[in-house]
Parts: sequence; structure tokens; C-alpha cells
Amino acid sequence: MYQLSSVTRLYQKGRRTVPAVRDLDLTIPDGEWLAVQGRTGHGKTTLLQLLGGLDRPTSGSVLLDGADLARLREAQVTRLRATSIGFIFQTFNLVPTLTAAENVEAALVPLGAGLAQRRRRVAAALDSVGLADRARHLPGELSGGQQQRVAIARALVKEPTVLLADEPTGNLDTDTRDEIIALLGRLWRELELTMVLVTHDSTLACQAQRVGVMHKGRLTLQPSRAAAQLEPG
Amino acid sequence: MFFLTYLRRELRRRIRQSVVIALGLALGVGLVIAVTAASAGVRNAQASVLKGLYGVGTDVTVTKKPAPPKGRPGGGTRIQIGPGGGTVCNGSKCHTGAQKVDNLTSPGSGILPASVVAKIARLRDVAGAAGGLVLTDTQLTIPASIGSAGGGTLPQPKSFDVDGVDLGHPALGPLSAGTISAGRNLAAADARANVAVVDSSYAIANKIKTGSTITIAKTRFTVVGIVRQPQGGSAPDVYIPLVRAQALATGPAGKGHLRNEVTTVYVAARSAADIASVRSQISALLPSATVTTSSSLASQVTGSLASAGRLASDLGRWLSVLVLIAAFAVASLLMMAAVARRVREFGTLKALGWRSRRIVAQVMGESLAMGVIGAAAGVALGLGGAALITALAPKLTATLASPTAMRFFSAGPAGTSGSSPSATHSVAVPMIASASAGAIVVAALLAIAGGLIAGTLGSWRIGQLRPAAALARVE
Repeated sequence: MYQLSSVTRLYQKGRRTVPAVRDLDLTIPDGEWLAVQGRTGHGKTTLLQLLGGLDRPTSGSVLLDGADLARLREAQVTRLRATSIGFIFQTFNLVPTLTAAENVEAALVPLGAGLAQRRRRVAAALDSVGLADRARHLPGELSGGQQQRVAIARALVKEPTVLLADEPTGNLDTDTRDEIIALLGRLWRELELTMVLVTHDSTLACQAQRVGVMHKGRLTLQPSRAAAQLEPG
Repeated sequence: MFFLTYLRRELRRRIRQSVVIALGLALGVGLVIAVTAASAGVRNAQASVLKGLYGVGTDVTVTKKPAPPKGRPGGGTRIQIGPGGGTVCNGSKCHTGAQKVDNLTSPGSGILPASVVAKIARLRDVAGAAGGLVLTDTQLTIPASIGSAGGGTLPQPKSFDVDGVDLGHPALGPLSAGTISAGRNLAAADARANVAVVDSSYAIANKIKTGSTITIAKTRFTVVGIVRQPQGGSAPDVYIPLVRAQALATGPAGKGHLRNEVTTVYVAARSAADIASVRSQISALLPSATVTTSSSLASQVTGSLASAGRLASDLGRWLSVLVLIAAFAVASLLMMAAVARRVREFGTLKALGWRSRRIVAQVMGESLAMGVIGAAAGVALGLGGAALITALAPKLTATLASPTAMRFFSAGPAGTSGSSPSATHSVAVPMIASASAGAIVVAALLAIAGGLIAGTLGSWRIGQLRPAAALARVE
């Protein structure tokens, strides 16, 4: 469970201080799917990075199962990311020189799993996203949708409790987008993940249990169905 | 192993850059090896020359500078050409007209009493001492018509080097370095015999064989052996027994003989560490003598050998240092640029839970691999370069100046003018560039160090990299 209290993240742009997230309080129960919408530059990605321990708040606390990501040492946060938090990026962020299987395996490297166990888990993860037959393909040999599936497999192979996705359908065509939305929905249910999705995509957002809208660094939470009817920003 | 898979794939993806970095390092390493090999080749050539000059087993030589001529030129052999023909004077005795001159002299050396040999042999740390005479036999035929109208010019004198060898100490002196290729060596029993051993090069040039006779100081000597000196050595042309040389050689004033006198004392120290001590003892014993060790003798060698030595040690060293620095700089810059291009990739890995040090290890591994490839290529390049230098380098020459005893005078309207031509002895020395195992190992380690430096500089950026900032670039 996430508990964010009075979280503020300020950036310095020259002499100007820009608040990306302002005085944010938020609780995300285990197993909840939260979609975050909002205009570009209003703090969605910063919020996601704070949740993932990729960034630290200027003030306030970000508790994940009782551990304050704002105060943990870098090595502890890194360990937490390795074990409990999966990331999906809009541009997939696959390592271009590694095959689909090796990209997925990269997420298991910090865990120190043995080779046999890694291979078994990689095969299972790729199978769960329907890419068992593309394991030896390089990212450049896969379509956008397939690359995002590999990224999803990479995020889930370590069996995290949290999945954080930044515009996971942003670079996909409509058909592929629907496939990815369906896949994420299925995995969320099956794996009982806590899932936070940053998206401009109302179709994706309306699948979430709750929708938050970021505006000038502040988050307004709304029930999902009603929020899905709103135009983001 | 994932580390190796990732490393291999990255090197393959950035093959062009990897090749550039590895080649840069290889070039630096190759140049270091080639220059080191060339330098070693020059050193070996120089050692070969010195060995020939010195003889095997000789650590110190003792000589004396020749005394300058006093007053009117009366010493040595004087040849004066005038309207009445050629006049040759030895000391105060002069002969005019057609004649043959054949003098055995020590033009470039001062004279030491033979007793110093025993004195030196008794010094501390001296293993042995032998005396020798370094002489030049000069032969000149003066025609009767010289000096008259249309009588032509004075023919060039023919000269060759003759060494008087102490047959009681065969392990010391210039003959000790040689190998008898025909006939036999001089033996103790030959001390008073007119027998000679001839250098193989001189023998070939003058068609001399075992059993041939040669004339030295108007005395016929039978050639009993042909000796081959180490390649590159500045070998005398003829070796004769010291006693005979002392009897036949003309003294500095053009009269008398050199009985009980020597021009050179060859000294062997008990060990290499004792050479300095022996040198200082001899200097104290004979303050006016020149005491030479191999290191001081090396500085007297001139010619292309010395030039090549200076070139290899000065220019070569700096050139290879510069190329190495350039290679390191290029490798480091390319590595830093490569890391900069992979910021998003490293940010993603950090998001996946990779610790910075694991990513640094990955980058260092890639750099190390490029260093190893560069080292291997560099060693091959260096050895190839050394082989090329050996194949293409012209023969080096070592030149030692030695004055002749003859002085020419011409009588003219302005009076008498004279000259004492100095002879130079040049030997061709082949340069064989050879890289030692130590030099190869050091050069290879340099390449690997270069790769690691490049990797360290590249990795420094990774340590500074914040995952959020790295991923923000994606947006």
C-alpha cells in the first residue's frame, strides 16, 4: 500500500523554482488500479517517479508498505525497485542489442537468480504476454505492440507487487492499444497488482478503479467511470 | 552468463566504435613495441660494435693520448714534394727520389710503458690485464717523376690496421672476440715468429688466404689464420704477435722502436660491479691515461648508428608517449560519448533495480575487452613493425676517428704547408629490431590500462546519473 503525505517536488529551472508536485496526499490500497491523467507538464510523470523511487520528494513522505522511499538509502531503494516495482515506459526502453528473452532476463539479474530459474521465469513471462515464439528476436525485429509486450513481461517477470506504467499505449496504434489494455487488465486481475498508469488515453483510464487528474502539481481523485468521460486537461 | 552476453552484444552493436577504440590503443601499443624493438636493435648493434672494439671479456681499456708534435715538424714520416722530386724524412734521415715507404706506427695512440700492464694486473678487483699495440701500417710508393713538370700527383697511401696481440693472455684484447674461420689462431709459441692472423673482411677484399704472405713494415709475414670478428665490430685488419709488433713499429719521433711499450692495456674486472672501482684505481695509478669502459666508449661512436640510437631513444620515446596519450584520449572520449548515448538504457536498468556499480562493471568490462583486443592487435602490429624495420632499415654505420701518422707538406711560393689527414674507421652494422617479452607485456598492459582509463571516465557519468533524469530524456 502506498501512503503519500504532503509530498512536494520542486525543480530548479535557472533561477526559477517550479513545483512539479504540490502538497500531495494520496493513499493507494494494495491491488488497486489507479489511472492518472492530466496535461503534459502538470506532474504526472514526476508522481510516477516518486512512487517508483526513481526520484525523491523535496518534502513529504512516500511510504510503500511502511518504508519511506524519501528516506531510504539509494541502495535500499534500488533493491526495492528490483524486487517489488515493475516499470513500463511509453517508448518501451528495451535494450536494442539484447533479444526479447534477454531483455526480460535483465530484470532478474539484480535478484541473483540462477540461470535455470531465470530461463524458466523468462519463458513463463514471455508466454504470459503471448510472445513465447519471439524470445530470440531483437527489439528491432518486433512490432511496437510486441515490444511493449516484452516490456510488460520484463516488468512482471520478477513478480512485483506494484506496476507503474507511463503512457504504455502512447506509441501504439488503436488495435495494438486495445490488445495492450486487455493484457494489462488481465495481468492486473490475475497477479493482484497495485497498478498506477499515467495516461492521456481515456479508454485505458476508464478501465481503472480510480482516476486522478494532475493539474499544476495537484491531484484530484474521481471515480473511474465519471472521470473517463472528462477530457484530460 | 548475462554479463558476458550483454558485453558481447554491445561490442558487436558498436563494432565501428569498438574497432576505432581498439585500433587507437593498438596503434599506441604497436608504436611502443616497434620503437622499443628498434631501440633494442640499435643498442644491440652498438653492443656488437663495442664488443668488436673491445674484445670479449674486456671491461676496461687504458690508452694514452698521443703527445702533440713539438716545434718544427720533425717527428713521424714527412714527405715533401718539390721541384727536385719527393723527399721522405724519418726523423732526421731523408731520402730523395723514387722509393717505397712502409711504416708501422701508432698514430692515434700515446705510448705506455709495458710495465704498467703488470701494475694494473696487481690492482684490487682486476682479474687480468694484457698489453697491446694498436698500429697502422702505411705504404706509399713515390715515383721518381713526382714534383717535376707533368710528373703527376702523389699517389694515395695504402694503410691497414695492425694489432700487436699479447699471446700470453688470449682471453683479453681484440682477438678474443673473433672466431677462426680458416687456419689457426696465434699461439704462445708464435711470440717471436713473423706470422699473422687476418680479419676475414680484409682477407676477402685483398684476396688473402691462409699461407699467403703480407708485408708489414717491410717485413714479410705468413698468414696462419683468418678470423671472423662479430658483425659490426671495428676489427683491425691484421693481428701479429705483440713482441714482433714492438720490434717493427716506429716510435712517435719517427725513430726507435716500441720495445717494452704498449698503446693499450686490456683489463678484465672480477665482476661487472667492480668496473667502476677498477677504473678509478687505474686513473689514480696513471693520471695521464685515458681509462675507458664500455659506457664511455659508446659515446665515442658516431655515424648513423649513434644517430639512430639518439633517434630511437629521444624521438621514438616521445612519439610513442604522444601516440599513447592520443590513443588514451580518443578511447576515453569515445567511451564517454558512448555512455552519453546510452543514458536512457542505463536509466532503464536502474529502474529495473540494477545498482550503479553493476552498470559500471558492465561498462568497464566492455572497455577492458576493447583494451585486450587493442593489446592483441597492438602486439601483432608492433611485431610486424619491428619485422618491417629489420627488413627495410638501411645498415647503420659506426664511425671512429683515428689519425694517421703521415704528414704531407707542399712547398710553394708562400712557403711550406702541411696536413695530417685523419683516417676514420667505419663499420656497417645491420639493425635487427627485436621486441623483448618484457616490452610486449608492458605494452599490452598499457593498452589494457588505456581501456580501463576510458571505462573509468565513461563510468564516472553513470555514477552521476539520476534514474529520473535519465528517463526524463526519453520524454
